[in-house]
Order: sequence, then structure tokens, then C-alpha cells
Amino acid sequence: MHSTLLTHVRVLDGSGAPPYTGSVLVQGQRIRQIWRSAVPMSVPDAHTIDAAGATLMPGMCEAHTHFSWNNAASLAAIQVMPLEEHVLWSAKVAHDYLLAGWTSCLGAACAKPRLDVVIRNAINKGQIPGPRYLAASQEITVPGALGDEMPPHLPYPEFSFGAVVNGPEDMRRCVRQFLKYGVDTIKLNLSGDNFTPDSPAETHWMTDAEVATAMEEVRMRGKRAIAHARSGPSVQQALRHGIDLIYHASFCDERTLDMLEAARDRVFVVPGIGILYAVLYEAEPWGITRAQAEALGYPIEWEAALQSLSAMHRRGVRVMPGGDYGFAFTPHGQNARDLEHFVRYLGMSPMEAIRSCTLYGGQIMQRPQELGLIREGYLADLLLVDGDPLVDLAILRDPARLLGVMKDGQWAKAPPARRLGAWEARA
Amino acid sequence: MGHTLLSNVRVFDGSGDPPFDGEVVIEGDVITHVGRAGQGAAFMPTPAHTVIDGAGCFLMPGMVEAHTHFSWNNQPSLDAIARMPPEEHILWCAEVARTYLDMGWTSCVGAAAAKPRLDVVIRNAIADGTIIGPRLTAASQEITLPGGLGDTTQPHLPQAAFAFGAVVSGQDDMRRCVRQFCKYGVDTLKINLSGESITGMPSEQSQFTEEEIATCVQEARAWGKWVAAHARSTWSVKQCVQHGIQVIYHASFLDDEALDLLDAHRHAHFVAPGLAWLVNTCEHASAYGLTRPVVEKMGYPRELEAALESMRALHRRGVHILPGGDYGFAWMPHGQNAKDLEIFVRQLGMSEREALLSATARAAPLMRSPKPLGMVRAGYLADLLLIDGDPLTDITVLQDRQRILAVMKGGTFVRHPPSRPNAASHSDARWRNRWSR
Repeated sequence: MHSTLLTHVRVLDGSGAPPYTGSVLVQGQRIRQIWRSAVPMSVPDAHTIDAAGATLMPGMCEAHTHFSWNNAASLAAIQVMPLEEHVLWSAKVAHDYLLAGWTSCLGAACAKPRLDVVIRNAINKGQIPGPRYLAASQEITVPGALGDEMPPHLPYPEFSFGAVVNGPEDMRRCVRQFLKYGVDTIKLNLSGDNFTPDSPAETHWMTDAEVATAMEEVRMRGKRAIAHARSGPSVQQALRHGIDLIYHASFCDERTLDMLEAARDRVFVVPGIGILYAVLYEAEPWGITRAQAEALGYPIEWEAALQSLSAMHRRGVRVMPGGDYGFAFTPHGQNARDLEHFVRYLGMSPMEAIRSCTLYGGQIMQRPQELGLIREGYLADLLLVDGDPLVDLAILRDPARLLGVMKDGQWAKAPPARRLGAWEARA
Repeated sequence: MGHTLLSNVRVFDGSGDPPFDGEVVIEGDVITHVGRAGQGAAFMPTPAHTVIDGAGCFLMPGMVEAHTHFSWNNQPSLDAIARMPPEEHILWCAEVARTYLDMGWTSCVGAAAAKPRLDVVIRNAIADGTIIGPRLTAASQEITLPGGLGDTTQPHLPQAAFAFGAVVSGQDDMRRCVRQFCKYGVDTLKINLSGESITGMPSEQSQFTEEEIATCVQEARAWGKWVAAHARSTWSVKQCVQHGIQVIYHASFLDDEALDLLDAHRHAHFVAPGLAWLVNTCEHASAYGLTRPVVEKMGYPRELEAALESMRALHRRGVHILPGGDYGFAWMPHGQNAKDLEIFVRQLGMSEREALLSATARAAPLMRSPKPLGMVRAGYLADLLLIDGDPLTDITVLQDRQRILAVMKGGTFVRHPPSRPNAASHSDARWRNRWSR
């Protein structure tokens, strides 16, 4: 069995505990043994890497991933990519996420019915490199709501970003179709979104009967549902129907926060805070001026989201990074910036921000006993980082500082010996 | 893309000359200098040059596969190949493209795709760096007719999505079909002029009318495309010459008239027989139900004999025969394509030197590349292989991944020489390991 021994690492184990210096032995796909000692260990036959004090932390989990968003500026422009190109694009993005340190990703919806499933399967059989991945459906929506991109004169599903259903039985057919394809999660657009002015964030679209039917099918097959829910009532609707994966949750009043807190042991909130920030402050090159962002309601949502999410964090609701990278103004690869936003705007400590993509990652991937922490017996999904993320989280989105990425005990990005040497000299 | 000096290599330059000891300089994507030991001063590298000591290994041009089907997915039937969903199919093609490059095929001539856009998309994705693969000219699906080779629809399932090829009938339909593929951006139109015994229509039959063929060629010419023909029968080969179809695949059954035609028009056509298909179908496919009695009934042993005789005759006349063809079936999986060169040497009486030329300089014009390729010569694209061993004495070394020490495409190492620290070969190690099995 292939073994890798990492010595002189500063272990940030992902649990929230303070880092310690030690050595970590990886054997096969798992962490075999950990020594808490500055004295370097020696293991016969193990490929030994002297990390010279670099930080070793668990691979990160992106909890709201859209591999098939192709860095375009609109939903329609994402959708219009032909199928074949779209698959290759998704494969490339999957590889890029892994190289950027995201060893787990929770699919949040794909732009064509089977993209997520096919990419997950290709990763799992070793055909393409990529993170552990849970595959989502398309966004399921209703006529006129977020994701129904069909122009009136082109009422063909191929033109729609999401899967458009109408009524409980149509919902059932649609959910069954995606379950047949093999998705892990069903994505439901419960609220609108300020990005689509005809269906803004605080509008609601799906009937309880439709959501209940979707959840009936989801439960019957042992899968999970994800709610796009920006408004308070949509968050409440998700919680009422037992949807545990809640995206955005920008507008939460006290009652909604109470409900979230009551469900905090089963619920994860993934706000996708990066896109709110980007649309508000950084989207001008793509035609979204400050005035337009204001007209779309982004300043109001930004303020509401910061309040809602800060309150959730205080109440112990698990808030996780990731979300809606893959637009022109939120290009893939910058996802770790969410962690900086969490510290700056939500009152998280850097340690809490790290924990949100490590400990919580193993939980949201439904493998808390073996994923998301540096513990003996856990899967060896590891990052070797030049520097201390607790001091500067931004190094996590700098490819030069991400020295190594390991998934399942194998280097997806191996630490270059020479660069480590240089680091040692500098230290 | 930096500069590279490959020193201390034994250069087979693709001109037909014997190999010589020397050095090769690559700057950007082209070869800028080829030096011979003992002739003039050695090249003085600058700090911009990565210097690699070739340790006397054999350096040759990257190989050109003249008849490539990335989308054949190692299944035992056309129907099974076609049945793969499009999402999986494009990922498969990307994986196969990488395999070819890894095995030294830096250029591939698409010979038909199993779905309309697969070749085009892969060619574009390689060109823009989304995936890693050889240079590729993209082909259409096989254009065929109702009941012909490639029409895998069944009476109760007549939908086009069930067809392996693009099924047309009549001139107008042919024109529409060719235009559709040209719109998609193919480089080559593939037309099935003869049958193929395994599919029920014998290889010695020809299937299209002269008018339909003329329409195909005329429309392709209008778009500046080439036409490649599946042409096993005598008559279909003559049709290729008559209509000016540039690429002739198979050409198993050649009578004296066909031989004379190919001889007389040798500069207008490329012939790639795809002999491995016949050899493997006759000898290595019994696990898939193609036992000796079955293949004899189909007529394959007889076709193999005829094809070997035809190719020997062409070779005697000095008509070039090119390697590649139909890898991607269950009994001849992708990656073993250099087996063709062994067949050329062992069965056709080619010298190893000629076999190497057929895989390099002689096939290179098929790529229609704006920059020249297929030789180790200043000004040529830096598509190069470093080989452990001497293919001029043992042509089979090219079938062994371990003996292909390095693969360079366009000045960039796709596979580094092993002496280099593994700094660059680390990434996606597991993915790469798939090829080594």
C-alpha cells in the first residue's frame, strides 16, 4: 500500500482545536497515524515529505457548487452552451476545484439535466480528476420563476435554464426523472432572485402541494433536497417540508431564525455570499452598474443577509462557504473568498471560518465519521498550505500558497520539493 | 512554452535518411535547429533553454494516425458504440484523445465520429486547451444509406438517434447532410461507399449511386472540406479515384484496373488499409462470438488475404500505405495502434524505415496543417518522440508505453523524459496511471 509521511507540519485539524506541530502518515486512502511531536518521525517505505512548518489542514468542502456555470454573465448565456462543450467544461472546472483545494463539493444544480451526474460518475471511476461530488438536478422551477428562461416565442425546454414544472403531478414526474438519472439532490427554487427582475428575491412561487410532492419522492428514494430560498417565507417553507440544505436565506426575521435554530442539528445554510458582494461592488465590467445593482435591490439584500447570517451564526446554525461561483463576476476558483467574507461580515473567527469548510464539510457530505478532519482513520483529503490561514485566509485562494492538494491519499497537486525548500529558507 | 535543447539524441528526421547523432532545438512550438554531431559547433543554450540530455535515445517525429475513431468505445458492435449517452461519450473521447497522445500519436486524422459533433468538439477543446490530446482533423459521422453500413436503426426503432451513421437517400438529402456537418465545422466528410461484412452488407458490395457520391464531393469541395471513404470493394475504390475522394480507407479488393488507377493517381489519394481490423477480427475476436467458423462465413479470412495481397501490390508499385484504423472495438482497443506498423513490416514486406515514414512524413499532409509537421527539421512543428530502443530494428517498441520515454507536442512535453524530477508529472497521478495499465 502506498504511504506518504508528512513531517514538520503544523496540523490544523479542522475541528476548531488549536494547531499543533507533528507528523502525519497517510497509507492508502486514509490517515493512518498522527504524531504530536516536533521531532520528525521516520517510517520505512513511506514517501517522506519534510513540510518545513507548512500548515496541513483538511481539504475544503464547497457546499454550493455549479460546475456547469460557465463564467458567463447571464443564466441564458450559461444555458446556451452546447451539450458536448458543456460536459468538457464541467470536467475542467471539476479539476480546477480540486487543484484549488476543494476536495469535496456539494452540487447545487446543473445547467442541463445530466451534467452533474455524469461528472460525478466520471470522477468516481477515475476517468477525470475532481473532488468528491454529490450530483444535483437542474433547478426545478415553475413558469415565470427563477430559472424559467424560455422566451415567450421559444417555449422549448432546451431554452430553459431550469426544469419548469406546473402542479404536483408534473413535479412528481420531474423529480422522478432526475432520480432516474441518478442525482443525489433535488434542487427546488422556492424564492425568486434579484438577479432576475421579474422574479425578485422576496417573491414566492412554489405551492406547498408542489414542494410536498417533491419531498415525498425525495424521501422515498433516500435523497436530499436543496432549496433556493432567499426570503424568510421561503426558508420557512423549506423547513416546514424538511428540506435541510438551504441556500441564501438572506431575509430572515425572528420567527424564521427561531425555526432555523430549532432545526440547527439537521440544517445547513449556504448563503453564497460572494455573489451578493460581487454584484454590488464588482460587476460593473459586465454591465451591472451600481445604479442597476441598486435598482435590482442588491444593497437591501446585502444588509439583510449580513444581519440574518450573523444572527444564524450566533445561534449556532451551521453556515458554510460556497455558492454561485461560475458567473462572469464570480469566476470559478475564487470560492475561498467566502471565508474572508464570513470573518469580515458575519463575525466568524478565522477558526470558525475554517471549521465551516472542514468539520461541517464532512457533515454535509454525510460522512462525518471519516471526512472533514485530520484524524487517524479519516480519509486523507489534505491541503498543505504555505503560511497560516488563521492569520490570513486569503492565502487559501492563492495557487502559489496552496503547496499540495491530496484526495484519497493521492496528490492531485503534489508539493514541489524545490518550492518547499525555498519556503524553508525564508522561514 | 519555453525553449528546449534536446542534446545527445539519435535523430530519425523523417526524410528517409539514416538516423544520425545530433541535437534538436525547439523554440516556442517549432523546431529551430537540428544539428549533427561532428558538423559545426554545438548549439550554445541560453538560460531560456531547458537542456535535456537524450542519452543517445532515438528521437523521431510524432506519429500520425491516419484513420482515428476517438468515439469508438471499445464495444463489440456499432450499435453498442452508438448507445452511449452523449455526455459520457464526449468524456470518453477526451480520455481516448489523451491516450493517443500518450502513446506517441501527436496527430490523428478523424475517420468518423459516432455522434454528429463529437470529433469537432474534441478538436476544438484540444486546440483551446480545455483537454489534452493530439492534433485532430475532425470527421463527420459515417454518411450511409438505408440498409447500408452504419444504418443501425431497426424496423421498429427508425429514429435517427438509433443510427450509428447519418442515413441519407438521394442527392438532396446527401447535400443537406453534408451541409449540416460542414455547419458543425468538420474537416472531413466520411462516406461509406462499400459494405462491411460484419454488419450484413458484404465488403465487396458498393452502395451509393454516382449521383449521390458526386453531390457529396461537390458540396464538400464547395466548403473546402475533404472526403474520406470507407471503400473495401473494388468498385468503391475506383469510385474514389473517379470522384477525387482524397482519403481511401481499406481498399481490400483491388483488381489490376484499381491498382493501375491508384498507381496513376498516387499523389491525389491517401490509402490507409486499417489491416489490424481484419487481422484481429479473424484471429482475436472469438471471445465476442466471432469464432473461426463465424468469421469464415462472414468472409473475413478471405478479405484479409485479399487485402494483404492488394497492399503488397501497392507497396511494390511504390504507392504509400498509411497506418491506423478502426481501433476502438472490443477486440482491438485504443492505444495499440502501432501494431499497424508491425503488420506492415511482417506482412507487407515494408522495411522498418518505410513503416516509420508511413507513420510520420508520409501521413503528415493528411493533417492539412498551416505549419509543416511530420519531420525533425527546422521550421517544423515540434511534435517529437523520444524512444528507448531502435524502431528501425524492432518496430514493436512503439507499441510499448514504457519504451516511449517522452512525447512532445508543439514544443511542450506531454510526457516528460523520465530523468526529469517528477515535479510536473505529479498532478492527476491517478488519472495518468489509467494509461499505464
